Amino acid sequence: MKVQDIDWLAVAPPLVLAGAAIVVLLLDAFFGPARTRNQAHLPAVLTVAALIGSAVTAGAMWDDAARSTFCIERPLEGPLGCSFVVDRFTLVFWAITLFGTAVVALLGTVAIADGRTPQGEWNFLLLSSATGALVIAASRDLVTLIVALEVVSLPAFAMAGLRHGDRRAAEASLKFFLVSVISTAVMLMGLSLVYGATGTVFFDQLNATLAVVDDTRTVAVAGALLTVVGLAFKVAAVPFHMWVPDTYVGAPVAVAAYLSVVSKAAGFVGLMLVLTYALPTFADEWSPVIAVLAALTMTVGNVLALRQTHAVRLLAWSSVAQAGYILVPFGAVSGSSVGREVLGASIGYLGIYAVINLGAFAVAALVGTRHHAQQLEDYRGLVRGEPGAGWALAFALVALAGLPPGVVGLVAKVVVLDVAAGPATWLAVVMAVNVAIGLVYYARWLMVLFTPADDGQASRYDVPNAVAVAIGVTLTAGLTFSIFPGWIVDNAITVLG
Amino acid sequence: MNAVLLNSLVAAPFVVALLVMLVGRRDQGSGVGLGVVGSLAVLGWSVAAVLEDRSVDEVWIASMDVHWHLVLDGISAPMILLTTLVTFCCQVALVRHAPDCGGRADLAALLLLIESGVIGAFLAADMVLFFLFFEVALIPMWFVINAWGDPHDPAGRRYAANRFLVFTVLGSALMIVGFVLVRFESGTFDITQVSGASATAAALVGIGLAVKTPLWPVHIWLPDAHAKAPTVGSVILAALLLKLGTYGFIRFWLPLVDPDSAILPVFAALATVGIVYGALACLAQTELKRLIAYSSVGHMGFVVLAVASYTTIGVQAAIYASVAHGLITGLLFFAAGAIKDRYGTGDLHELKALYGAVPRLAGVLAFASVASLGLPGLAGFWGEMLAIRAALFPHEALPQETFVVLSVIAAFGVILTSAYFLRMMRITLQGPTLSEPKADLHALEWLAWSPLLILTVLLGVAPGLLLKPVADAMAGVLR
Repeated sequence: MKVQDIDWLAVAPPLVLAGAAIVVLLLDAFFGPARTRNQAHLPAVLTVAALIGSAVTAGAMWDDAARSTFCIERPLEGPLGCSFVVDRFTLVFWAITLFGTAVVALLGTVAIADGRTPQGEWNFLLLSSATGALVIAASRDLVTLIVALEVVSLPAFAMAGLRHGDRRAAEASLKFFLVSVISTAVMLMGLSLVYGATGTVFFDQLNATLAVVDDTRTVAVAGALLTVVGLAFKVAAVPFHMWVPDTYVGAPVAVAAYLSVVSKAAGFVGLMLVLTYALPTFADEWSPVIAVLAALTMTVGNVLALRQTHAVRLLAWSSVAQAGYILVPFGAVSGSSVGREVLGASIGYLGIYAVINLGAFAVAALVGTRHHAQQLEDYRGLVRGEPGAGWALAFALVALAGLPPGVVGLVAKVVVLDVAAGPATWLAVVMAVNVAIGLVYYARWLMVLFTPADDGQASRYDVPNAVAVAIGVTLTAGLTFSIFPGWIVDNAITVLG
Repeated sequence: MNAVLLNSLVAAPFVVALLVMLVGRRDQGSGVGLGVVGSLAVLGWSVAAVLEDRSVDEVWIASMDVHWHLVLDGISAPMILLTTLVTFCCQVALVRHAPDCGGRADLAALLLLIESGVIGAFLAADMVLFFLFFEVALIPMWFVINAWGDPHDPAGRRYAANRFLVFTVLGSALMIVGFVLVRFESGTFDITQVSGASATAAALVGIGLAVKTPLWPVHIWLPDAHAKAPTVGSVILAALLLKLGTYGFIRFWLPLVDPDSAILPVFAALATVGIVYGALACLAQTELKRLIAYSSVGHMGFVVLAVASYTTIGVQAAIYASVAHGLITGLLFFAAGAIKDRYGTGDLHELKALYGAVPRLAGVLAFASVASLGLPGLAGFWGEMLAIRAALFPHEALPQETFVVLSVIAAFGVILTSAYFLRMMRITLQGPTLSEPKADLHALEWLAWSPLLILTVLLGVAPGLLLKPVADAMAGVLR
């Protein structure tokens, strides 16, 4: 038996992160708690450096053809089974994950001031979770996929509850944990049914087998639906969204940002891989189901966001609604005429959403340093008092609403509508109505930003450098993509072509 | 050179707006002064651009085939000139009139941002680009109503602003669904290459534009928005933003519709209902700005009726009536705002015999009113007359009898229009008891209003100025 060849460059990006995670943890264990403020920033600096290193190795593969590794020869005829593939699809998700994690790492430093969050552990958990998020985008079999998904989730529970003496954070963590465990159980059940019906875990082989089997088709369809339900928990689609608002509000803002972008992106990757690589033959079965889920998700998210006065809770419901928009292209896939390439629109939307949503969370993290209650009223006069943060949040909000000057958000909506109109015109109309509903709460928040404070002077903030960088980076990216939307859209929507 | 001229026409107001905002931080007055100079420069720039037909076409988002495609021709040129002129007038008006809540320069900057979006929308030949510019004006306008609106009624103005925003965005979101459906069917976002679309797509685009225009029964956001907006906001809203809807009907809706389908008669019927409804609503109004707002519903009804006739003369009528409405209603709102400033109320029954109290201001209001009711010799006459004529002789594929009936009803609407304007003038301008005399028109008010006054007369006596270029540009719009 011959030893497997491993393509080390292909696995380098997740390995770099995993290695860095251990370094960060060991440093913390050997040198103990930081004695100065600068020392306290060391883990975050290491984390960002590791993320950049990972991005560099990933970038080296951008122009290459797809790289596969961890392959096994199949005894009988059939496609070669590979567990780990790095192609354009993988790389685009890696870009989203690495960018998102870097911003979250920067936001995590606001916790240094109150001294209740151990920075070493926090960055270790963040890097571990990000490792899982990288692996999931490259996984091409069911086992790797579910293990990677758990690697994303398990550290996230701990991150949500890491702050000492914070009962709400502990509660948020527990709720998140329970829901996640249940969803994993449901998904495992579904995957085992699929495996039982086909006898393979590799996506390519599953696809090839399912195209010809007839007798076990019912079992496979049932398994596929259970898998979709499990992943729907991860992306917080209605009716599997109930955990989102409480978890986001209870956890630190940086964790909420992580859950709403990186963890959610991981869920969408899983959904795309399972549905379009393994189960494209069932597209006519799952596509209408997801179309209905998408319509429900955006409507419930937007309607419930209308009455929120808590900023993070509002962002939580808005992220539920945005997940609904991302699901729309799934509802436009069909087995015969339109292939999986329409899902490129979901990837494009997800990438844009990641940038602007992180921008909003970055400002929320800053405001949270002074106003723990995170009421919308706390944002009053922010544009006057703290122009950098105020304008950044204003930009993020109009972009989330999909209006100029947030052109990038508008383009994202057009990208999604573009694939939906025609195959699922009704869904496009539902989305159009939802865009109008969503505008109400974004506009309400926007007005607060520009309303002068009662006493004539708005709160001033001692802006931590890392948060300033996070706000600056997300705003710059958002503005750049608003002028050249092609830079993000062209790369994203062709990866599944 | 062409590209620079056109692109900078879109970008210039935007840049001026940013400068005005920055200068306004230090000194509001010089911010507004810069706004006046800047908008005058943009006006001159637009005249230079209009003297020749020009276009720009660059790929913007390759994977979706979205082009940065701007076209300046006989249909867009009048709208562009109207935009730059009215914005200039509003900037001048701001020099003297300081809003109570301050932030005069910010208001000027927002108006310039709106101008930028409106110019872009009038130039765009790509559907996504049109949608984008269509939306640019929304957030600034929402701020204008929300922050500078009726100072006596904060809750009401917030409600009006939000209703304006949600209605318009709902409309434009449906419109973009229609646009992507067109691309699904014909494979391009470029309106100059589209010939025909499914009834669903045409209906979605039509509904979206109907909200903006506004067409009965989706006009309900308009009266509140007008009543609560500050004077310059009302002027911009009536003179420019409504025109995005009518222009959209001409440029982006007519190429999609099939004259054999039922969609043109349906829109024509809604437009006619709007004419009569607007006039009847006006007869019942007791507030000056609401009355003018409802009169807009009627005038926009004439425009859509003309468009729905699917003829060249219909499109000429539509453009003509749009420009005339922009000039005259702008003037009406300026006059109404000036009265409200002086007397603190727009209630018709509290204003008495203004001819005696403020004779020149009352004269301008009377002039604008008779222009609006369609007195021959002034600009308002030609648009309505041509619209009724277009509806009498529609495209041969359309149901002739239906359109004849509609045009007769529309002609009846003209009489009602005269009735409510004469009622308004009799109540407010004439009468035995005099309102308290106040300062009459200021020189700056004359300066801001005179371009509108002069053009109303000029277009009334020389309609060919506008009708010929439109006719020349009509190739490709109708099948």
